[in-house]
Amino acid sequence: MTYFILQILPYISVAVLTIGLLYRLGRWASGRIVHNITLTPAPTTQTGAVVDIAAEAILFKSLFKADKTLWTGSWIMHMSLFAILGGHVMGIGLLGLQFYYIGLTSAETSEYLSNLLGTSMGIVVLLGLLYLLYRRMAINEVKMISAPSDYLHLLMLIAIITAGNLMRFVPEWGIHYEPVRDYVAHLLTFSAVTPEMEVMHKPVFVIHLLLVQVLMMYLPFSKLLHIPGMFAHRWIINRPYVEPAPGMPGVTVGGSGHNVSGGHSASGEVQ
Amino acid sequence: MPLTETGLKQPVKANEKDLLKINMPVIPDDQKVEVALKHLNELGEKFRSLMLTFESCVKCGACAENCHTYLGTRDPYNIPANRADLLRKVYKRYFTPEGKFFPGLIGAKDLELEDLEKMYSYFYQCNECRRCSLVCPFGLDTCEATMAGRQLLHWLGMVPKLHASVGAAMAKTGNHTGLPKAATVDTCEFLEEDIMDEIGVDIKIPVDKPADILYIPSSADFMLNPNTMTGAAKFFHYLGVNWTISSEIVEAGNFGLLFDQRATLRANCMRVIDEALKLGIKKVVWGECGHGWRAGKMYLPGMLDRPGRIPIVHIHDEVAYYIEKGALKLNPDSITRPVTLHDPCNFGRACNMCDTLRKVMNASVSNFVEMTPNRERNFCCGGGSAILFDDPEMYDLRIKFSAKKAEQVRATGVDKDGEGILCAPCSICKAQLYPMVEEHKLGVEVKGLIDLVGLSLYPVKHD
Repeated sequence: MTYFILQILPYISVAVLTIGLLYRLGRWASGRIVHNITLTPAPTTQTGAVVDIAAEAILFKSLFKADKTLWTGSWIMHMSLFAILGGHVMGIGLLGLQFYYIGLTSAETSEYLSNLLGTSMGIVVLLGLLYLLYRRMAINEVKMISAPSDYLHLLMLIAIITAGNLMRFVPEWGIHYEPVRDYVAHLLTFSAVTPEMEVMHKPVFVIHLLLVQVLMMYLPFSKLLHIPGMFAHRWIINRPYVEPAPGMPGVTVGGSGHNVSGGHSASGEVQ
Repeated sequence: MPLTETGLKQPVKANEKDLLKINMPVIPDDQKVEVALKHLNELGEKFRSLMLTFESCVKCGACAENCHTYLGTRDPYNIPANRADLLRKVYKRYFTPEGKFFPGLIGAKDLELEDLEKMYSYFYQCNECRRCSLVCPFGLDTCEATMAGRQLLHWLGMVPKLHASVGAAMAKTGNHTGLPKAATVDTCEFLEEDIMDEIGVDIKIPVDKPADILYIPSSADFMLNPNTMTGAAKFFHYLGVNWTISSEIVEAGNFGLLFDQRATLRANCMRVIDEALKLGIKKVVWGECGHGWRAGKMYLPGMLDRPGRIPIVHIHDEVAYYIEKGALKLNPDSITRPVTLHDPCNFGRACNMCDTLRKVMNASVSNFVEMTPNRERNFCCGGGSAILFDDPEMYDLRIKFSAKKAEQVRATGVDKDGEGILCAPCSICKAQLYPMVEEHKLGVEVKGLIDLVGLSLYPVKHD
């Protein structure tokens, strides 16, 4: 079983995630943007629109204006989750020496900082998730519109994070960066995982990895599609819009009609 | 027929005869589900915005407390995410892998006749104001779900009598009230006399005259809001514009946007540019109508069957432009009553007009008080998307939908002495707010923005 989870399932889960996402994105792309449903006030340039979308993606601007409590919980949850994903790349890829490589600290301090960040973010994201779960059960409106899967997504993430945190806090359940790097290298080079490798003997690591792979496989078939969906939808409603030229023909002050004859489109168009 | 057997509140449906007038066959009940699924698939595949709204919602519920229909009724189905779910559940069940295999888990369900009745009830309780889209972390447009739902219901022959008859009147006479040309000309002459009596200036309202500017008034301006029509006439006259209205399109509104975004929306759009072409028009100026201007500004360019080369602008934008150019000598001191502004949803969230409204307002009156929230965060009047139904149950809902609006107006304090003005530059807002102001006992008079411009441009002399 461990062998299946570590050696075979990763290829399956990555394939399902990739093909599933391509299937979903392809479906979206085959739909048209039929009408101009730009939400105003809209920026007048493409750059302005990109800045707007970035502010939404990074700062959750709309949510901040609408619901401060939810914003606090969800922003903290998403940002720490994002930091953790980055931390996995740094920790496993660079063995936690990232701060040393960019010349900020000594090698020991870098590893210490890496561990400290990973541990603290693990706690923060767990708190964020617990808040979201509490909110879903405590606020009547949210409870009314929730389907069973809405709870399951949260519970799944909580389980993954808990397994990860256990590896941080219980040394004998944990695993160092090096063996994991070796394991990932084996996967990437399509070489066989051998029984004596340390990853084969760390049950919590195996559970952690299993849960992550299950999540990867159902991501394209769940509301977790909101990750690409947000960009795809904001691309439709957060667009630049240029107002048509004002001024009426025959009026001597200001508009003498020159603006009018120059207006080629019946409506605003992006320059 | 407000209450169905299931206890749903529904507007009166158009009958077979009404539907034939807008070229819609009635689908028998036993075929409705099958036909609905076919069309739902087509709609989902066609509109990317709709598919994204179906597939990306995380049910965070941020929209609930930001929807005035939910705030006013506390009906769970008036939570925007839940309203869209009426359609989303079905869409997921039939057209997504997760819904096909795990319907119970993700909350998908089979379509039944009963669900269609429920959709008819709740999609016509949505004002299509898009405040939910504004507050959604992903900007998901629940209005798209409502629009798709109404389109679907229209294709099944489930349309409110109000919308169907307005659609039929539009096709026949070119306006929503069924006003024939003779009546339009008569009303214009009557309004000209009115202006003469009021300010002693000879201002004409030309009908069907070849001109530079085609003004598209709302037909309600000929009955309910005559001051909006005369205000526009005063503005054009002051600048010496060669303008006209067309008896073929005395209608700024376009109900196609609200129940049928194919045939009806397109026919009404084409009517505008056909008339503009016939009269040798150089520029079309739209009147005070929220959804109509959204259709004219945002939807029309994409709906035409040939290139639209004649620019289309809104009268408020033109007024603001000439105020900036110093071409209009307004007398804000002539309007000293406290005024507050209701930003129509379509102007604020769909047509980028918040600044314009304020430019015009500040130049026209001397005591302007902002409402909170305002601009694009404003709440709908409760009549949005023309759910101006008169049957008692639906009327009762309209009062509840406008509870938030009443609260906002009270908070400005303009109604204290009973002398206030509630400026609502949109025909549907006006039609909703005239009775609502009475129901909520607000001491304000509802007026359009162009009404105020007209009054400020040619102050009435009190001897």
